[in-house]
Amino acid sequence: MPDKELLKIRNIYKSFGLNQVLKGISLELNEGDVLALIGGNGAGKSTLMKIIMGIYTHDSGEIYIRGEKLTSSKTSEALARGIYMVPQEPLLFPNMTVEENIIIGFDKKASELHHELVQTMQDVGWKMDLTRKASSLSIAEQQIVEILRGLMRHSQVLILDEPTSALTFDEVESLFKVVHDLSSKGIGIIYITHRLAEVFEIATKVAIMRDGIIPVRGDVKEFTRDMLVKGLLPPDAGTVEETAVQTHQKAAGIDYSRPPVFELKDYSGYGFSNINLKVYPGEILGLAGVVGAGRTELATTVFGRDKVLGGKAVLDGRDITGLKTKDVIEAGLNYVPEDRHLNGLFKISDVAANTTSALLPEKQMGHFILNRKKEAEISRKYVDDFRTKVTGLDQQTGSLSGGNQQKIVIARALATNPRLLILDEPTRGIDAAARGDVYAIIHNLRQQGVSILLISSDMEEIVELSDRVMTVCQGRINGEFKGGEINQDNLMSAAFGITKKEKEAKA
Amino acid sequence: MKKIFKFRESSSILFLIALFLIVGIVNPKFLSGTNIADCFNDAVVYIIISVGMAFAIFIGEIDVSVGANLGFTATVVGTMLRDGKNWALAFLVGILIGALIGLFNGWGVAVMNIPSLIFTLGTNGVMRGMMYVYSGGSWIENLPQSFKDLYNKKVFGVININLIIVVAAVIVIHLLLRKTKRGRYFIAVGDNPQGATLVGIPTRQTRLMAYVICGVMASVSGIVFTSRIGFVTAISGNGYEMKAVAACVLGGISLSGGVGSVIGAMIGAVIMSSISRLLVFLEIGSTYDNTITGIMLITIVVIDALTQRRAAENNRRARLAARTSVGVAAAAKEEADHE
Amino acid sequence: MNKTFGQKCKGFLHSWNMALICILIAEFIVFGAKNPKFLRPQLLFNSMNDFMSICIISLFVTFVMITGGIDIQAGSIVGLVSIIIGVTWQDLHFNVWVSVLTAVIAAAACGALSGFFIAYCGVQAMVVTLGGSFLYAGLALLVSTASSTAAYQGITGYPDYFKIIAKAKLFGIIPSQLLIFIGLAVVAYIILHRTKYGRKVFLVGVNQQAAEYSGINSKAVIMSTYMLSALSAAVAGIILTAYLGTSKSDLGSNFTLNIITAVVLGGTLSTGGSGSVVGTALASVIIGLMRFGLPLCFDRRLQNYLDIPVGLLLLGVVIVRSISQNPNVSRIFASRKQQKAA
Repeated sequence: MPDKELLKIRNIYKSFGLNQVLKGISLELNEGDVLALIGGNGAGKSTLMKIIMGIYTHDSGEIYIRGEKLTSSKTSEALARGIYMVPQEPLLFPNMTVEENIIIGFDKKASELHHELVQTMQDVGWKMDLTRKASSLSIAEQQIVEILRGLMRHSQVLILDEPTSALTFDEVESLFKVVHDLSSKGIGIIYITHRLAEVFEIATKVAIMRDGIIPVRGDVKEFTRDMLVKGLLPPDAGTVEETAVQTHQKAAGIDYSRPPVFELKDYSGYGFSNINLKVYPGEILGLAGVVGAGRTELATTVFGRDKVLGGKAVLDGRDITGLKTKDVIEAGLNYVPEDRHLNGLFKISDVAANTTSALLPEKQMGHFILNRKKEAEISRKYVDDFRTKVTGLDQQTGSLSGGNQQKIVIARALATNPRLLILDEPTRGIDAAARGDVYAIIHNLRQQGVSILLISSDMEEIVELSDRVMTVCQGRINGEFKGGEINQDNLMSAAFGITKKEKEAKA
Repeated sequence: MKKIFKFRESSSILFLIALFLIVGIVNPKFLSGTNIADCFNDAVVYIIISVGMAFAIFIGEIDVSVGANLGFTATVVGTMLRDGKNWALAFLVGILIGALIGLFNGWGVAVMNIPSLIFTLGTNGVMRGMMYVYSGGSWIENLPQSFKDLYNKKVFGVININLIIVVAAVIVIHLLLRKTKRGRYFIAVGDNPQGATLVGIPTRQTRLMAYVICGVMASVSGIVFTSRIGFVTAISGNGYEMKAVAACVLGGISLSGGVGSVIGAMIGAVIMSSISRLLVFLEIGSTYDNTITGIMLITIVVIDALTQRRAAENNRRARLAARTSVGVAAAAKEEADHE
Repeated sequence: MNKTFGQKCKGFLHSWNMALICILIAEFIVFGAKNPKFLRPQLLFNSMNDFMSICIISLFVTFVMITGGIDIQAGSIVGLVSIIIGVTWQDLHFNVWVSVLTAVIAAAACGALSGFFIAYCGVQAMVVTLGGSFLYAGLALLVSTASSTAAYQGITGYPDYFKIIAKAKLFGIIPSQLLIFIGLAVVAYIILHRTKYGRKVFLVGVNQQAAEYSGINSKAVIMSTYMLSALSAAVAGIILTAYLGTSKSDLGSNFTLNIITAVVLGGTLSTGGSGSVVGTALASVIIGLMRFGLPLCFDRRLQNYLDIPVGLLLLGVVIVRSISQNPNVSRIFASRKQQKAA
């Protein structure tokens, strides 16, 4: 295979405000390469891809396509130079047919394009009804349409962003075949994924991304799964012994003979199934897993946001299965959402209104007239307790830093005095200092006897905080770790779908 | 298949036919060639203005200034014709007025990102006032008879020649929208704005263009309106914006954008303008006109919204469910590998 | 230290109300200087009878727009209420107060129906209230045909004890309509800015998802705002009927532009989440006085052109607001500041 260079990226830097997302990224992609790009959430993979596509402008660094420097940051230029990205959620026109979706934006005649499209499909050996409406396609089919769009543009570089995250097993197989075909035709593919198994199945090269840098990259042949897992962990991750001791001490105070505060029995819903777990009084149960593993869906379903398909959720002996959000909160469970901006914050409302928003049904906030004194009192208490930096209770939360916003959202949940608090990615997108504060808040809560279900894809966080950990992978619980077993290595392996048994077998 | 795509329009046609049949059964007098032809002949102004409105709705917006646009154009063109100005000049000025109003609306909506209802509501108020200013509130009458005759030319004895021209024009517009690269952009921008950007469609320009077309169509309908009615009053065109929106909805165009065709808008306009005539034949009286329009409008949008929401929800759930089934399959595979 | 964004917004809101007061004062000065008759209390107070119904509806359409919706059907409900009062009173021989109650219930039902479609079926507010404006205007016309009086004539002959509600004058000069408006403004202020319900209205408008995650039944809140605006339209319908002494089905048919302009000029964001009753009240009075003052002080014929200044006002406010939100503009200002600092 000719070793011709398609894409070269040199020293890309990118910040959003004060938050530096990419810190000097360099990468190459040759003809026929399938480069697997792996990394945790927030590592900067999507940002990098959006820069390559010209959707974002990079602060510094260069991008070369076939040795030519990319001068402007425009999507149209990237498209013209033969780069095409298949986004994680395909962006098709739902009301158009497959054919219309593919040939939109071309200058040629429709009949010519049709001919070309049929030819392209023959070349890669795909069959698809071109007159179907895009809204009737499965995700896999939508992705194929997106790939066809790329091929019709004679793209030399295809970027696939977590293409298998919503595919069934058979669909994954057919997609892999497509990827193989394309790479054998000399097309370079950047394949972003969360699933380590896939790396060995289809990739020729691998690059690990973490905190805006690529610390490790090379031929897949040079790597083992364990090496990839190691690469995903931060270099200063504590050794197994240290964390084990720490965890052991933490869990010591919990009486596992007492009845659990919260229990899920064979709980199933959209995105997860047959979940069994118990949270004991004063315990922090870590629920580790990558984004898309079904953790958030599990939490939001418990919280009354989606339909329960089976099983039971029991809080303090009371069945809360399928209750409305308001009643779930009243029963003593509250949830700090994963997406702070979408589901957590009222950005153009002030600190006080945010803090007390979940308290409104309660009598202490007044019967009809809002009790402003009480509102201020409660808000003030949480601002002081959490050391939230605000200019006043009347400051709009949209103007706060991410960490302070997160404290407000946690305060909102805590204001309802929950018996169980579900924290979903509590430290995503906030700086180190604020992270420390949030950890302190969580430790304090635990001492006050509040039970916590901590959902996170940050294994370091899980190890530091949890008394006990369960891992979720593809909608199911696939591991439970106690005491000394809780270390980043074990958790990362399980979260990426490598079971213990398998690891031993490989070793 | 093609069928699915055309489903919405064909159901509008079926609805129209069913409507005529029902009225015909109740009152057989209705089913004469002239009556049915008149239903179509009367629709010409509505068809033009609704097709324009369709462009605004395709991109997921709305334009409630078309009524005032029609009225103002009619006032200006009417005055020019009454004063014996050159016809071509008058028509040109009329169309220019429509284009400018459309451009202004497009600027507000596409460039300034102002909610279209609020912005065009403002334009509507201003243009309606300008009508008074221009005409001084008095009627514009005594238009040249030859101009008024333009609307009354018929072929085969019953079919209005304007209708034929308009239908032909709508079919041409339909083909342009379906077959040309730029034509497809309008639907695409309304269908999935994000996706449109990703395939390199100039979204802002397309949205601006949609409003210009909408404005021009409204002014053309104003000219035809003047010819048909023969005089212009200070309230000419009042409420046409509502009728145009209703016609689009009746014609199967989704108000969330990206769905429908100008053919649909045309059929919707015929239904819309036939209602009062049909009611007369049903001996109900045209007082039911607005009520029935309102009920149809609300029913269609509610059903549309519910089906769309259900489809989206099912889609999301299927996606989530797919994840867990991978789990099953992958687990099974792992087991197999192990053994 | 620089003021934060939040403080600026807060400051803006206050300064916006101040600006509205300044505009109001300016109106008095300009109109008064042009034609001193404008300042004659008798005339001024009387003029208010012509636009108080718009002011009253605007107060509650503010609620709707804070939730991120829009209501263009309120005007047609005014006519429906008026004609229901007339027909039930004249032709069904109801007691006039029973007629009023019937009309109010009908209005609430109209608001509830539209609100239900918007909140629970997820249809855009614009479309539903557009359909609603057809439907309720059409129903008004239908109801009017049930009457023995021809539609264009209007139903007249109401007893004085009914007409008095809009014709009474406090101290012989302050019209009861103004008092009703002030009373309703206070009520609206308390509901929106002082009660738990009002807080929910704001929260739903700022972020409906987050409101749901706070256990707020956002759908019920949204639906209720349409009922409130319909009820305010009912009040306006009653007042207008009593003031004119006539029931007509097309009363209020040209209110929409004025109502929306009042709410937008009053500082309510068209995207929802922010707004104030005080702002709307001031803005609606500004518009009303403008409608009264322009023809009186400049040119009588302006009476027919009043949609122009109102429309221009609406366009001006939304354009200026859009420009001020444009990041490029704030960047220009920021760079100027930096230049000054340097």
